[in-house]
Amino acid sequence: MKPLNELTIVEARELLDKGEVTSRQLTEACLQQIKSLDGALHAYLEVYEEDALAAANRADDRRAEGSVLGPLDGIPVAIKDNMLLQGKSSTAGSKILQGYTATYDSTVVKKLVDAGSVILGRVNMDEFAMGSSTERSAYGPTKHPRDPERVPGGSSGGSAVAVAADMCLGALGSDTGGSIRQPASLCGIVGLKPTYGRVSRYGLIAMASSLDQIGPMTKCVEDSAIMLEAIQGQDKNDQTSSDEAYFKPFWKKSLQGVKIGLPKQAWTSQGVEDRVKEKTEAAVAALKSAGADLVEIDLPYADEALAVYYILMPCEVSANLSRFDGMRYGLRKQGLPLFETYAQSRAEGFGDEVMRRVLLGAFALSSGYIDAYYVRAKKVQTLIRQAYEHAFQNVDLIVTPTSPTTAFKFGEKMNDPIAMYLEDVFTVSVNVAGVPAISIPCEDDGGMPVGIQLIGKWFDEATLLSAARVLEAQLKTDN
Amino acid sequence: MKLSKEEVAHLAKLSRLDLPEQKLEQMTKDFGSILEYVDSIQKVDVEGVEPFTMPSKSQGWREDVAFEADEATRELILTNFPERAGDLLAAPGVFEVPKK
Repeated sequence: MKPLNELTIVEARELLDKGEVTSRQLTEACLQQIKSLDGALHAYLEVYEEDALAAANRADDRRAEGSVLGPLDGIPVAIKDNMLLQGKSSTAGSKILQGYTATYDSTVVKKLVDAGSVILGRVNMDEFAMGSSTERSAYGPTKHPRDPERVPGGSSGGSAVAVAADMCLGALGSDTGGSIRQPASLCGIVGLKPTYGRVSRYGLIAMASSLDQIGPMTKCVEDSAIMLEAIQGQDKNDQTSSDEAYFKPFWKKSLQGVKIGLPKQAWTSQGVEDRVKEKTEAAVAALKSAGADLVEIDLPYADEALAVYYILMPCEVSANLSRFDGMRYGLRKQGLPLFETYAQSRAEGFGDEVMRRVLLGAFALSSGYIDAYYVRAKKVQTLIRQAYEHAFQNVDLIVTPTSPTTAFKFGEKMNDPIAMYLEDVFTVSVNVAGVPAISIPCEDDGGMPVGIQLIGKWFDEATLLSAARVLEAQLKTDN
Repeated sequence: MKLSKEEVAHLAKLSRLDLPEQKLEQMTKDFGSILEYVDSIQKVDVEGVEPFTMPSKSQGWREDVAFEADEATRELILTNFPERAGDLLAAPGVFEVPKK
């Protein structure tokens, strides 16, 4: 048998059901792995050892009484540092929230706890989820499990490494422009961004509210389905959560009759590494051998989507982050007049990338420029959405590489904001359109991982996950 | 589109960010390449296109209703205050210059 911390959620649940392992054993195995590895990798910002063991004991007691709460009961998981858990610290990777204690539960974490999950701790991220490498955390970078000189991707880099290095069985990440899918791709795991509105954002420290979405990061596709089922649903505390029918997995055996669109721009665009090209092309071949009907499609505005994103997102950032003013919580510089209290607390508490985006947003929203930037970008967003609607009239799914690169070295893109932004070139349009997408690993040859992205129709996670699971199995056969 | 250092300094003031000279220069430089990149949307034909708004699946507007916090929650909120005067939040005076 595999070491317990290496199990998938599906495998662990089977052993729990058979009475061959306990939640306590699973939790201890994860805690032990954290102790051995996390000094080097720095995925966790805080480990809740005592609480986790107590939660595991409660799960085992429920099982002994025959009152198991569901598929996640007793499963040890990690949460990203921007999801509130009452009474625990939550900093969004920022110095401005150092010492802040969450005053209420985020809906997603509450749902995980109510489903019996064991929360192991909170994991690292780029400050306020702004970055693609986790180098922007105010608490130090997280390292790639296969090469400590490389980044794990971001912003959910802590979640990706906690899963990839078997320091938990699954984790939650958040995705505004690729922050679940890109680190999943770079670390060789599965990452799912659900449809906008599928999962409540209540208690998620907001970056760009119209684009943010929480989703699972797991070792296999089925695990992502289990976690999504647990966290989804309309919430009275999130007006943008949808009344659409709940997601229910529907697994098919093949891709027979499934039409998949390949946007020609995705493989011809500059900056796609050879290894990414090679491995994703092999994955496309696997889609074909699994029975999919592949068609080349034209997805216009592929380039403009990133530009639209880098206007809309900073506008929302500049509004959302105005609450961090040193008044009610977080860092405050003392003994200064009011204006200086605001300005110095914020300048000391925020990192450079955060301030860059706040300023960019203030510019794009300012009088004289708002029509040329914000309003115009909202119009192009309508066109991008229409382009997806049009594409989905002819195909069931769209496939692209997840990221143009594999894991890069620390510092490589830190002084070039555009190079870092281009990491998201294949993922952002999905957030701009609001559709769901998943990244799954293409290979397991021991080299730097490569992910392939499948994009689905609005609220059709069932088709998306079913296809991803077939591809996952096909790739295992092919490799 | 290019912004001058003075324009970036004005945005920093509006955003309540006290940036030293060197950072202002760096931000101004970064802005050059970022604005050049995002200006690609100026070429898109948006004649007759409506700005995107949230789809109707969401819940729309609601009344802003206060809810009662339990004692433990209240205490957590109070302990997060950077400065307290009893159970009140202490903040710098709006019209005062504080004594150091």
